[in-house]
Order: sequence, then structure tokens, then C-alpha cells
Amino acid sequence: MIDVQSIRDAARDLLAKGEVRAVIGYQRGSRGMLAEPVTITDPEQADELVWDATCFHNLALYLVEDRKALAHAQRTPNLPIAIVAKGCDARAIVVLMQEHYFKREDVYIIGVSCEGGGVLVEYKLARLLNGAQALSAVIDGAELVVTTLAGEVRLPASEVMADRCLECREPFPKEHNVVFGEDQTSRQLVAPFTALARFEALSEADRWAYWCRQFERCIRCFACRSVCPMCYCDECVVDSITFPVAPETTAEEKANRIRWIERSAVRSENITYHMTRAMHLAGRCIDCGECERVCPVNIPLRLLNNKMEREAREHFGYEPGASIGGPSLVASFRDDDPGQFIR
Amino acid sequence: MTKKRTGVFVCHCGNNIAATVDVARVAKEMSAEETVVYSQDYVYMCSDPGQNAVIQAIKDNQLDSVVVSCCSPSLHEKTFRDNATRAGISGFTCEIANIREQCAWVHKDRDVGTEKAIKISRSAVRRAGRNQSLEPIAVPVTRRVMVIGGGIAGIQASLDMANAGLEVLLVEKQATLGGHMLQLSETFPTLDCSQCILSPKMVEVSRHPKITVMTYCEVQEVSGSVGNFKAKILKKPTFVDPEKCKICDDCTQVCPVVVPNEYELGLTARRAIYIPYAQAIPASYTLDEDACLGLNPIRCGKCKDVCEAEAINYDMRPETVVEEVGAIVVATGFDLYGQENLGEYGYGKVEDVLDGLQFERLCSASGATSGHVLRPSDHKVPKDVVFIQCAGSRDPAQHCAYCSKICCMYTAKHASLYKHHVPDGRAYVFYIDIRSGGKGYEEFVQRTMEEDGAIYLRGRVSKLYRHNDKIKVLGTDTLTGQNVEIDADMVVLALAMQPSKGTADAAKVLKIGRDKDGFLAEAHPKLKPVESVTAGIFLAGAAQGPKDIPETVAQAGAAAAKVIALLSQATLSHAPTVARVRRSHCTGCEMCVTACPYHAIRLENGKAVVNEVLCEGCGSCTATCLRAAIEVKNATQMQVFEMIEACLA
Repeated sequence: MIDVQSIRDAARDLLAKGEVRAVIGYQRGSRGMLAEPVTITDPEQADELVWDATCFHNLALYLVEDRKALAHAQRTPNLPIAIVAKGCDARAIVVLMQEHYFKREDVYIIGVSCEGGGVLVEYKLARLLNGAQALSAVIDGAELVVTTLAGEVRLPASEVMADRCLECREPFPKEHNVVFGEDQTSRQLVAPFTALARFEALSEADRWAYWCRQFERCIRCFACRSVCPMCYCDECVVDSITFPVAPETTAEEKANRIRWIERSAVRSENITYHMTRAMHLAGRCIDCGECERVCPVNIPLRLLNNKMEREAREHFGYEPGASIGGPSLVASFRDDDPGQFIR
Repeated sequence: MTKKRTGVFVCHCGNNIAATVDVARVAKEMSAEETVVYSQDYVYMCSDPGQNAVIQAIKDNQLDSVVVSCCSPSLHEKTFRDNATRAGISGFTCEIANIREQCAWVHKDRDVGTEKAIKISRSAVRRAGRNQSLEPIAVPVTRRVMVIGGGIAGIQASLDMANAGLEVLLVEKQATLGGHMLQLSETFPTLDCSQCILSPKMVEVSRHPKITVMTYCEVQEVSGSVGNFKAKILKKPTFVDPEKCKICDDCTQVCPVVVPNEYELGLTARRAIYIPYAQAIPASYTLDEDACLGLNPIRCGKCKDVCEAEAINYDMRPETVVEEVGAIVVATGFDLYGQENLGEYGYGKVEDVLDGLQFERLCSASGATSGHVLRPSDHKVPKDVVFIQCAGSRDPAQHCAYCSKICCMYTAKHASLYKHHVPDGRAYVFYIDIRSGGKGYEEFVQRTMEEDGAIYLRGRVSKLYRHNDKIKVLGTDTLTGQNVEIDADMVVLALAMQPSKGTADAAKVLKIGRDKDGFLAEAHPKLKPVESVTAGIFLAGAAQGPKDIPETVAQAGAAAAKVIALLSQATLSHAPTVARVRRSHCTGCEMCVTACPYHAIRLENGKAVVNEVLCEGCGSCTATCLRAAIEVKNATQMQVFEMIEACLA
């Protein structure tokens, strides 16, 4: 079990010594149990940092926001920014570095291993608590320790953890400057792609019907895109409204914008949006599951990205976020790619 | 922007298109398109009157863009683009709508075919509506050629090109030139000595002022494109200075290491330091690093001690050189299909079962037996020899599906040579059928049967195994329907030809395609038989498909002629349909840089920059870019979008 004090000490130390300009981490949220992202710049604030089973957020998103803010202000800082990173967050950072979004030396990674645990899912917890209000939730070994007004409850962690944590192949942040917790990469709570396999057992007709139902509900709020650290493009190709207006864009092009996807949130357009997003995340999505968590209408988006991830793994032996210097999935090919369809 | 004035020309292609597509209706529908000011159909658009009609229509109607609905752009795009140029507009404003291969030939129903032809033509009209008037990019040419492979194909191509005044770089992986032809004893159908006709050419190559021979070298990487390739070549160390080496043979006398001799196909042995054979070019020894005890005077050092010329240098290291060439000829040859794959013939483990090349060495005056046919196991003269054709060829179920083409002839030659060496011996040939198309070939086979008395048995051998000091060969004579059992002293397998390992490597390095059997793919099976799919890279010899010496020499000459024609131009014109970067959208993720097969993109100040000379406009970058920050001119996002829209409408 990780002592949150060690994370606080590290953050305080970095800020006090002036080695970083800020630390992105988690603090206790305004809604009691849940943690929320925070950026601290004062060593005194270090004690506000928390670490528990509600630290869902992929903080790599805030590195992207930070870089965008810097670019907007046309500022080049001389100090790196520190970030608290779980295994998945660290993989996201690796992908961003692989794509040269920022350099390795611009980021100080305070790695935190999820060890045998992960993050919980609110609805799973609520169901088990039978309406009791949780005040805090910490994973201790195979159990989740929940403090409620009525006292402490111990629940089997596997019953409240997120699917992606149960299926996680790499809960340890390999890329880090400092790391807390044990490397338990070999843990096998649930076989990878279990949820996907369960879904794929359905017939093609059933799957199509299922997705039609899901995408009919999409309200195109773009929360999935906003929360995704990989969706860092200034202009998204699916936004027909802003697409390509650049200094070299001709007046004619401005007058005739390409509308790959219409704005109305109808099924056909929603499907195109989600398919485009899945394709653009192929080989880049590191399965942090944030898109699915933030979806207000509960579309199981993780299945789409998981599908792409498994295809990449089976056909090309590709693991996203494995190394900063490694080739990206869609841009490279190897002669010994296991994919039978390539010769 | 003023509205385009597009002309549409719909071809009947005789009945090829007109039978399935109502061409008149296609032309009529197109005339309703907003940008189309002229449309017509004609029986053969590519005929002279057809072409003139296009030119005249462009002039008469002030057309600024053209769509020709006809066959594949790989056939007539150039024709019609040239017509556009001749009529005074940019050739790149002309688009081809393929309504033959992609429409008429794949449909039977006339209504369906016509509808589809309309959609294909309409999408081409939309694309043409946004085409820019581009002009070709002029690219300077490097007047040098690299030939990969120093067998007869490479030698012939080098000589032909060097004699035309081109500077030639001949790169060979082995320590000497010559290839497989040098291993042959005599050549069919004239039975002239293989070495005697090849070695003069090798001498000519080595003495030619325009040819640089690089033996014991491997091409590791090739970048650039037609007219300007850059090749990275690895020079493997021979540890012997050919300038100093006096070929005195003192070193091999003292070398303690014995390994199988590749040149003799393992029939004899050689030392770790060796010269492949007497006429080797360059005439120098090579120290085989893998076989040597350790290139270290402490471990052995005998050869260095004994070398009076001080030619041996253990400190030689691999060296990489970069050479610039304008064109490349690939002549990497063949290997024999491995005997170990043939379970029915003993997996290559039965003694005295030889392959064709080994038999050549047995017959060769320069071979281990000085030209006496003796069986390897006991050096006795074999009295019953079985020759098995199609060993690995024409067997789609288990081995190679294709015919190796030369085996009928060389087996006849083998049988004939054997009978000349051992007149009282019996030669049995198992065959499926005899393929002897070629000048003097059929007569040669007949002579082998009738004059030399070789016994031809039509059928296959099902099994062979060692039985006492004989090889029991079980087969069938399908003409008599009898089973045949022969106690043979020796068996010779006419193994299938397969592309050499070097061919696979070269294809990888050069990024040129291979066919389903692994041979190098030609650009067109009939009309571009010596061109690879990549401009500036040409094919010669058995690397492209099984062929005999005359054919190989002819193809080498053809490849040379293509190179000479290519490099005789002062500049090459490069298609201007290259990639363009939208700098504001580029985030510098480098995916396009990795994806580009031509190394045409690099990052400059965190943004992608395209080298227009290297770019082939393949669009790999466009497909890879997540931000639509790079697109190919005249195949822009907008054009693709409108084409899709036209098809869906």
C-alpha cells in the first residue's frame, strides 16, 4: 500500500528546490469521497495531495492543457512540470512524447504504481453500499476499505474496480523520474480484453443492433474527446465547422468547407464520429477508460478502443505507449509483422 | 475563382465498354454537370482520330480541364495528358475515369454498368473541377548505374551499359563474380563449356574503365528515387589485400580449418582462407571470418606468418560507403529449392542423391573429379543413374506451383553428358512432360533419347531409399501403366528454381514488389517485363522468374537498354502531384516522416517539410496524418470529399 505522504514529500521537495514549476496531482474533491485534479505551485500545498481509489483522472490531459496554454501565451518555460502518473497515465505521456507533443525533459514523472489495485467505479460501489454514503475509498491489497458514516466497510476490490483496471496489463508506470509502489506488472486479475470478448460473443446482427442503440443516444457533447489526452489537435477533423481555416486556406476552400460529419446528433453522424475517433486512437489509446467514465449517456466507448488495441496487438504485436523512441502503429511497418494479410 | 470548363470524352473501347455501358447516356449525363461545357462519346478515344478530337475540343471550347472515361489510367493516362499538353493546357488537369476494368468488365447488367459508369465519370469530373494546372518538376540525373548481382545477368547488363558510356557499379555479395553460370559444366543445346564463354566476359568487366566491381559487398539501404538514388553499401572485410596478394596459395597450405566448399556445392572442402576458383575476379584470397579460428595471432595466425607478400591483415573492418546512382538493375539470381524439403526423395540425406548443380560440378573438367563422373560416396563410376525432373516444381500441393522452365533441358543435357562420360551406363529420366521450346532445344532432347540412348520414363518417382550400396528408386511409367523399380547408383534431382535469398533481401532494401512465388515483380507482365514497379529500378535474370542463359542475357540487355534510355536525358521530369503540408495544422508528430516510403519528408522547426523531388505522391502521409495537415496536390481532401459525394449522390 502506498503511503500518500511519500508523494506529498516528493512534490514538496521538487517545488521547494525549484526543480519544477508546478505539480499536477490529485486533491480531495468537493463531493466528499472523490479526488479531483489539482495543479500546485506552492510547496505548502503539497499536503493537499491525495492518493486513493478515486484518482480516476488521466492527468496527462493537464500536461496537454499546460502546453496549449504555454503555446497560446508564447512562453517557453525553463523548468519542467511534474505530474503524478499511474501506469496508464504514464503510457499516455509516452505516446504524447512519441508524437513529439512535448519533450521528455519537459516533464518530471512522479510514478505511482497501482500495485494490485486500481480505481473504482462509482456505480459499482454505490450498488454494494446499498445507499450508504462513502467518505473515502482506499485499496488495501485485495480489498477496498470504504469509510462510511456508519463506520468502515471492507469490500472485495475486484467487485468495485473499473474493468480497465481489472484487465490492466501494466499497472506500473515504467517511464518515470521517481516511482512509488511495487512493480506488479505480472498481476492477472482478469484476462485482458475480457469485456471485449464477452461482447464479441454476440452475433453480428446483435452487435450492430447494440451499437445502433448506443449511438442513437449520443448527444455529441464531445466529453469523450475533451477528456482524452490524445485528442490534442487544435482543430478536430470531425468539426466541419472549423475545419481547415489556415493562413494558406483559399477563400474558395473557406466557402466550401468539407463536412465529413454533419453537426446534427443523428445516428449516422454519431457513428461516423465515433468510428473516426476510434481509428484516430488506434495504436495511441492506452486504455485509461476516461472517455467511457465521462460519457453522460453511458456509451461503452472503451469497447471500441479496446477492439482496435487488440487488433494492433494480434496483427502487429503493437503495445501503445511502450517506448518513447519506438515507431507508431499506423506510420510504420515491419517485415515480420505477424499479420497474415500483409505480405 | 472562375468556373471550370471541363470536357468529358467517353470511350466505347469497341465493345469492351459499350457492350455493358450505355456510353451515349454517360456522355449526356455528364453534359448536365455544372462544370462540363463539352461532352462526347467515340468508338476508340485512344485512336488517332479520337485523340485529335480531344485536342480539337479543348481548343474549340476553351476547355481548362478534361475527363476521359475509358480504360485504366495505367494504360492511357499519359496519352491523354499529353493531348492536353499539346492542346496548350496543363496535362495534370486531365483525369481518367476508369469505366472499363472497374466497371464494364466486372458487370453484366447494362443498367447497373451504366449507372456505375455515370458515378465514376461524375466523380472524376468533380475531381477535375478542383485540379490545379501543375507543371512537371525537372530533376537532375546522376549518370551512374548500380547493378546488384554479379552473375551472367549482372555482368551482361554492366557491359552493355558501360559500353554505352555509363559509369557502372557492379555489386556482388560473394567473393567473386560469376554466379551460378560459373558452376555449370556445359551449356545446352550446343554443349559449349560454360566457363569458357563466361570468363572472357568476366575479364572484360574487370578491365572495363567504366565498371567498378565491388565483390564481397552488400547493399544495405537505398533511398531517393529515379535519377537520384543513394545506396549504402557494406564492404565486408576479406582480410586480404588484393593488390598485394600474389595468389601463391601458401596460406591455404597452412590453414588448419576445413569447411565445405560452396563453389563445389559441398562436394569438396576448402580452407578458411581460400580463393573460390582459379579464374576468380578479383584474383585474390578471402579469409572467411566465420570459419577462421579467430583472426588473432594468439589463436592461430598461420596464414599471416606464411604470407611473404604481407597481404593478410586481420585488422580489416567492415566499411560502409554511400554511392549515388541514377538507376539500379537487380540481377540477384536464383537458388535451388532445398532438397531438405523433399521428403519423398530422402530430405537430402540419402547418399549419392545429388542436385543438378552438384552433377554439373561432377561433369566439369575444373571440378573435384576433374570431369570424371564418379559417385561421391565411394568414387566408383555409376552405371545406373536416375534423373528426376520436376523435383519441387509443378507441385502446388506440396512445393512450388510453377514450372522451373530450364529443368527439361538441363536434365537432357545431364543425361547426354553422362552417356558421353560413361558410354556403357544407363541413364533413366523420369518426366511429367518435356518442355523444349527454344531454338535447337527439341532436337537436343531427341538426340539425347535417340543417339545417346537415355531412357525416358513418363511418370513420377514416388519414393527412393538406400538399399545396400544402391539407391532403390520406385516409380511409375504412366505410358505402359507399369510400376518401375530401379537399383540406381546415383540419382540426380532437377530441383525447382526459386528466387535467391539475395533476391528477397534486395526486394526489401529496394522496396520493390515480389510475386506470389517470391520472384521480383515486373511492372507489367507483357509490356514492362524488365521494369520493376518502382521507376528507375530494373530487373534482369532469374530473380524475376526462372529462365535459361540466352533469355537471361536478352533480359539483361533489355534492362541495360532501358537504363541507357533513361539516363540519356539531361533532366527527368517528375510528377508535380506531390504532398503539401498545411503548416498551421502540423503538430510535428513525425508520423508522416516514418510512413513515407521515399524518405521525402523531414521535420524542420517542428513542422513537416516535403522534398518534392523525392515525393512520389503516393499519399501514405495523407492517410497517416490525424490532422489532415498533409495532402497530395490534385488529390486534396476537398477533391476526395467531392468524389465520394458524387458517388453517393
